[in-house]
Amino acid sequence: MNLFKALASGLLRTGKAWQGAIMIWLGSLLTASLFLLPFRRFVRSALDGSTITERLRDGIDIEVLGDLGAGFRNLITALPAGMFLLVLLAVALGAFLNGGIFNSLKTPQKRFSFAEFFSASSRNFWSFLVITLVIGVMIYLLSVILIGVPVLILTMSGSGSEKAPFITVIVSIIVFVLLSLIFQLASDYARAWQAAQEKPACFRAIGFGFRRTFRTIVSSWIMMLILFLVQGLFAWLSLTLIARWIPGTGGGVFMLFIVSQVLVLLKCVLRIWRYGSVTSLMEMKNSLDHKPSDATIQNTQV
Amino acid sequence: MILKKFFSAIFLSILAFASPAQVINKEPLSPRITGYRIDARLDTAAKLIHGTMEAFWVNQGADQVPDIQMHLYMNAFRNSKTTMYRGSGPAGDSTKWGWVDIEEFKLADGRDLLPYMHFIRPDDGNPHDSTVVQVMLPEPATPGDTVAVKVKFVTKLPSKIRRTGYNDDYFFVAQWFPKFGVYEPAGMRARVSGGWNCHQFHANSEFYANHSVYDVNITVPDDYVVGTGGMLISEQDWPDDPAYKTQVWRAEDIVDFAWTAWPGYAVYTDKWKHVSITLLIPAERKDQVERQFTAVKNALEYLSDRVGPFPWPHLTFVDPPMKGSGAGGMEYTTIFTSSSAPMMPGWIHMPEMVTVHEFGHAYFMGILATNEFEDPWMDEGINSFFEARIMDHYWGERSGMVDHRLLKVADKTSARSSYVYSPNRQVVSNSEYSWNYPLGTYGMMSYMKASTWLFTLMGIVGEETTDDIFREYYRLWAFKHPGPKDFINVVNEVVSKNHGDKFGPDMNWFFDQTLYGTGICDYRVAAFNSFRQDTSKVRIQSGDSIVAGKAVCDSLYKSSIELQRIGEVMLPVEVLVHFSKGNEVLLSWDGRERYKKLEVLSGSPVKWVKIDPEYKIRMDVNFINNSKIYETDMVPVKRIMNKLLAFLQFYISAFVL
Repeated sequence: MNLFKALASGLLRTGKAWQGAIMIWLGSLLTASLFLLPFRRFVRSALDGSTITERLRDGIDIEVLGDLGAGFRNLITALPAGMFLLVLLAVALGAFLNGGIFNSLKTPQKRFSFAEFFSASSRNFWSFLVITLVIGVMIYLLSVILIGVPVLILTMSGSGSEKAPFITVIVSIIVFVLLSLIFQLASDYARAWQAAQEKPACFRAIGFGFRRTFRTIVSSWIMMLILFLVQGLFAWLSLTLIARWIPGTGGGVFMLFIVSQVLVLLKCVLRIWRYGSVTSLMEMKNSLDHKPSDATIQNTQV
Repeated sequence: MILKKFFSAIFLSILAFASPAQVINKEPLSPRITGYRIDARLDTAAKLIHGTMEAFWVNQGADQVPDIQMHLYMNAFRNSKTTMYRGSGPAGDSTKWGWVDIEEFKLADGRDLLPYMHFIRPDDGNPHDSTVVQVMLPEPATPGDTVAVKVKFVTKLPSKIRRTGYNDDYFFVAQWFPKFGVYEPAGMRARVSGGWNCHQFHANSEFYANHSVYDVNITVPDDYVVGTGGMLISEQDWPDDPAYKTQVWRAEDIVDFAWTAWPGYAVYTDKWKHVSITLLIPAERKDQVERQFTAVKNALEYLSDRVGPFPWPHLTFVDPPMKGSGAGGMEYTTIFTSSSAPMMPGWIHMPEMVTVHEFGHAYFMGILATNEFEDPWMDEGINSFFEARIMDHYWGERSGMVDHRLLKVADKTSARSSYVYSPNRQVVSNSEYSWNYPLGTYGMMSYMKASTWLFTLMGIVGEETTDDIFREYYRLWAFKHPGPKDFINVVNEVVSKNHGDKFGPDMNWFFDQTLYGTGICDYRVAAFNSFRQDTSKVRIQSGDSIVAGKAVCDSLYKSSIELQRIGEVMLPVEVLVHFSKGNEVLLSWDGRERYKKLEVLSGSPVKWVKIDPEYKIRMDVNFINNSKIYETDMVPVKRIMNKLLAFLQFYISAFVL
């Protein structure tokens, strides 16, 4: 029952911290735009004055992209490095904003204040960054162990079923996702704990995160799974909608922009729901841990 | 005289063993210049093939020929310094070498030719290469003579399959026996004097051989499934060991005999008209079977309609397992290899593309037996051109290669892209020996550029004329060895017949620029403007073409259109002018001048101009500058960017814990 209480409480906390969702969305918009705007400018200037854009009406046309010339090819060549930098930036920005978010999700809940939000963000930044990076590396290593190694062994052995590597990959991915939820839980508990502390103590926070995760593994993991499925389903539906929608007018394109950004915003809200639910579960468990037993009460009365 | 008698006797014996009676087709499709009878036993443990071969070559030229020359292709895998490895880079440390050793080499009368056998290196003089052997005859072969030889050989297959070789219990056996080069009499393929055409094995080269009859007995362990380019005649236990079986195969009028053996094949059969089709595929890839048959049947239908009939009643194709993937995507006329993968999604047409391409080589190299060493564009280029036509015809004009709702890619797009986007597209012409393409341009030039300029040729002369060209090419050159000039002559003849002198006295100007030239093609609309006319002074004027337009006297615009030829290649192009009232006029420009100004009169100003509006000149390296409009419709660009933005936001959110 705690699980559903935590989910409900998480939802309520998210509602009270909706400004945080706006901040995360804005952060993602700015980060992605930083990456995309030069590309957009390049493409627009390259195609300006040509009727070739008619070939893009039904979707991407490889020939048109290719004819953009060496500049485009250079951009594509730089894409992996750019994406890596983008992810680093997003991780750093996420660590910063999540500091404020977790702070605004804890009890006692006050009225959301931007001053408090950014104060907590800056206070928690380094701890959150370390927590994110440490647990991110753990998740990466987990993926290597669970996905990379089995596939490598199967491929190197060169014998056995042809479908085995594919099935192994699928099974490995599923196992990885299910196990990675534990690490995500640990990171959420760690950040929720850190947000409640006055001084940064990131490694203690990570320790707390794992302890709490394993002490409440069943309820925590199930809750995380529910949240993961909801988020995954939402992301899949959103991306499908965005991909399939092919507006042909300027107004339609504007609507696409609005709708797609609303969907990104909702994705942010779902993430904060996860943070709120984990924070709530942690607080419930904390209150249980500190509740005096009946024997203690009787002794006190005597 | 004695020699004549000797050769006549040999010839008679040849006729006896090489089955004068046709087994597969009622009449021979090709002159019987060479023929082979081979007994081969596969030693699956030692990866050896023990072979004995009786083969003949008939001197059909007018020269006395003092020698014979044969390919020993398998020696390309003999050491890391062979010409093939010099071209491809060193073999990996774990590579097990391959080779072919001649143990006996005799004339049919028993005279030993081994002392007269030595390796030659006609292409590069590389002393470490032993892929061509020359055998001096005791007496020169005079015109009409038949040279019959008996050869005992052992072939060791290489590991790490590069077209041929083994991996574990999988075998793909190609280029495995001593094989005659082609003796080209004077005049053949524009040759000035007669001589052997017998090149070494290069990293970037394929093969060249006469159409032959093959009678091949293959002995393998009982549990092995065998596929070959021949027709199975019989099968029996091997007398020396009942755990082995011997299969008797017969092939007629093909240029190479390859085979495969593996216990894991599942065998599927289907039929298209008169052709029995056999597919050997790993049993686990059952889901790929139907698409493979569909692909090969589509290719059969298309090429039979547009080029000529497929003359054999049998066809085998192989989808190698992962461990034999190095054998994938290769052709041996009546057997070829495709390349799929288990669980390959249906929207990726890669397996179909490989099947269509490799089957196409039955025509462009198999029937029209061009010299792949010297004129790779004639097999790979023409075949890639047909591959793209077939894929886009059957799988969608925009989706021949990829047909996903988010991304569609036509096959012809991938060919053009490889050429257009290559930084080395001008380093060499398309008319080079296959191993002479520098900077890794062999594939791009011989496959992609050639395919692209063939599409351009079709854009100029039309699809119907293009089909007529290939039908005539087939009619004149099937089961012969056409060279580039022969193909060009066919083009000239058919274009002239269909179009008169519309394109000049011949099409040499086209080939001079595309096949033999290194220039690029790029046309550009530089500018246009329209001015309202004083109707009292109207004078109808146009560029190269008559402008059909109504001169509405109360509102007449004179428009100037400025065109540029940026590239070196000069091709006739169409220019479509669209006016603001929606009417259009199609002009033509011979495309020769560097700068061209066209003037048109119309009842409204010009809205946009397009050179080559249907993108028929696929050699044009930049379609973007082919048009001009004052206000580009940026809606599609904005849409794509908005989507990319949202995708990117979702993507980065996955990395934020």
